[in-house]
Amino acid sequence: MPDLGTTSGGIAPRHTQRTGLGLQALAGLALVALPVGLLVTLILWPTVRMVTATFLIDGNLSSDRYFAFFNDTYTRANLRYTLEMGLVSAVVALAISFGIALYLRFSAGRIATLIHGLSLFPLFVPSIIISYALVRFLGPNGLFQLMLEQVGFTHYRTPYLTPVGPFLAFVWENIPLPVLVLSAGLSQVSDHAVEAARDLGAKAPRILFEILLPQMRRSLLIAFALIFMGIIGAFTVPYMLGPPAPEMMSVFMQRTLGNLHDPESAQVQAVVLMVISSIVGGFYIATMVKSSEAVR
Amino acid sequence: MKRTPFGGLILLVSMGLAMLGPIVTVILWAFAVKWRYPHLLPTEWGLKYWFAMFGRETVITPILTSLALTSIATTTAALICWPAAYAFARLKFPGRQLLLFSFIAAQAVPKFALFVSIAVIFLKLGLVGNFWGVVVVQMLSAVLFMIWIPTAAFRGIPPALEEAAFDLGASRLRVFVLITLPQAMPALAASYVLAFVSILFEVDSALLIGAPTITTMPLLLMTLSAQIIVQEAAVLCVLIWVPCAVLLLLSRRFMTARGIAQGFGA
Repeated sequence: MPDLGTTSGGIAPRHTQRTGLGLQALAGLALVALPVGLLVTLILWPTVRMVTATFLIDGNLSSDRYFAFFNDTYTRANLRYTLEMGLVSAVVALAISFGIALYLRFSAGRIATLIHGLSLFPLFVPSIIISYALVRFLGPNGLFQLMLEQVGFTHYRTPYLTPVGPFLAFVWENIPLPVLVLSAGLSQVSDHAVEAARDLGAKAPRILFEILLPQMRRSLLIAFALIFMGIIGAFTVPYMLGPPAPEMMSVFMQRTLGNLHDPESAQVQAVVLMVISSIVGGFYIATMVKSSEAVR
Repeated sequence: MKRTPFGGLILLVSMGLAMLGPIVTVILWAFAVKWRYPHLLPTEWGLKYWFAMFGRETVITPILTSLALTSIATTTAALICWPAAYAFARLKFPGRQLLLFSFIAAQAVPKFALFVSIAVIFLKLGLVGNFWGVVVVQMLSAVLFMIWIPTAAFRGIPPALEEAAFDLGASRLRVFVLITLPQAMPALAASYVLAFVSILFEVDSALLIGAPTITTMPLLLMTLSAQIIVQEAAVLCVLIWVPCAVLLLLSRRFMTARGIAQGFGA
């Protein structure tokens, strides 16, 4: 019998090895059947059903609902706002995280430890808690305004209920992931390469753009894809902090389904968001697969 | 690229303000009796609103609902996912890689859009507002943690130890209970905690599939945060979040970049 399980960690006790594969395969399939069944009934089937339903009007194949979606100015504005929010928040979160990761890579000591800890803090704070906390912190007469007034600044205008509100929350929430991913990537850049470049007279920006950034490209792309997908699908943050219009897609869907009782339009909105997300997701998975092949 | 300690200090202070400022505000509000503009800090402190909150059924019921929902959903998910994780790590069967991969791919589906599709089906079946309907859907939030973290943990246990026990004549079950399980325990516990907390604070499906009949704790928080008395939502925030943050902190070892990338990001 060829190397049963040595590469994958599979174990077959001696006495089952003769008939082992059949039994093991059956046991394996039986054990994974329930969670896989959950995915099929609650993700695959509803999605397929929804996509089909959006193309069927009275039993006939039709793309009219999608024409209606893209012909509606308000709907288009919401989609555009959602994508812009995802793009801008993800880029700013990545830029800040990259700065933090760089600082952590080239410094040590108590301050660096504290900064590392603070950058991971959002992992421990669910969306709903930070959304409410930001209302109290940045909202009208919030602690931030009170602090500014203590030092004599009286022209504070709250970002609450403007697009800046959700933007700040998204940036806040999305610092830890890229800090972790980028720190891991930066730790693989050797000190020798940086020192050699410095010895040859390279300045900090040149080291950044010619040594560090090229090596971090893949990590940055993966982090961007994940953050972007998370933001365009988010509900709680824009619901609690954002303006009444334009709406981000999830808020829009909730109102279309819950308040306007129009499941047909809500499903079209959901499918459009899923398609955009799956394009970014496909790109993410392709990058992941490529990098794990590179490791092998 | 050496920086002066001064630069580090500025970064530290601005990050401290940005990261902790919002939460500190909520904690201050939870213990404030009077905090009027333009005072920087509350002028009167106390637990007045804590006592006021616990006397009300509209507050107690959602908390109990949330705890019941979350415990049932997380435990059921653990019972069906942990054995599957063992199978993914240790057994050979056709389609193993593809099925394991489907659990990552599932995360790329935007959850709110997915819940819209489920809500439409549930509307037809009359399951909207049904407790068990919400339990089943919320299990989805647990599946990823419960498959990936345990699968990695079972894979990380060196097979040599188990093989030695087999050679000495131990049965598969005995090896599993005495050798494999104890080594996987920390990871299993961590996956339980991560799943529990993410379900407890889950808003999307609770709103689309539970509301208005089922009010969970996060939905109550949303309602309270829109009300005039600031302290009530602040008290609820502190009450629910602090124990969860401690639990998460205990399982932080398992919140690796990879795990988060798969769990939180999408």
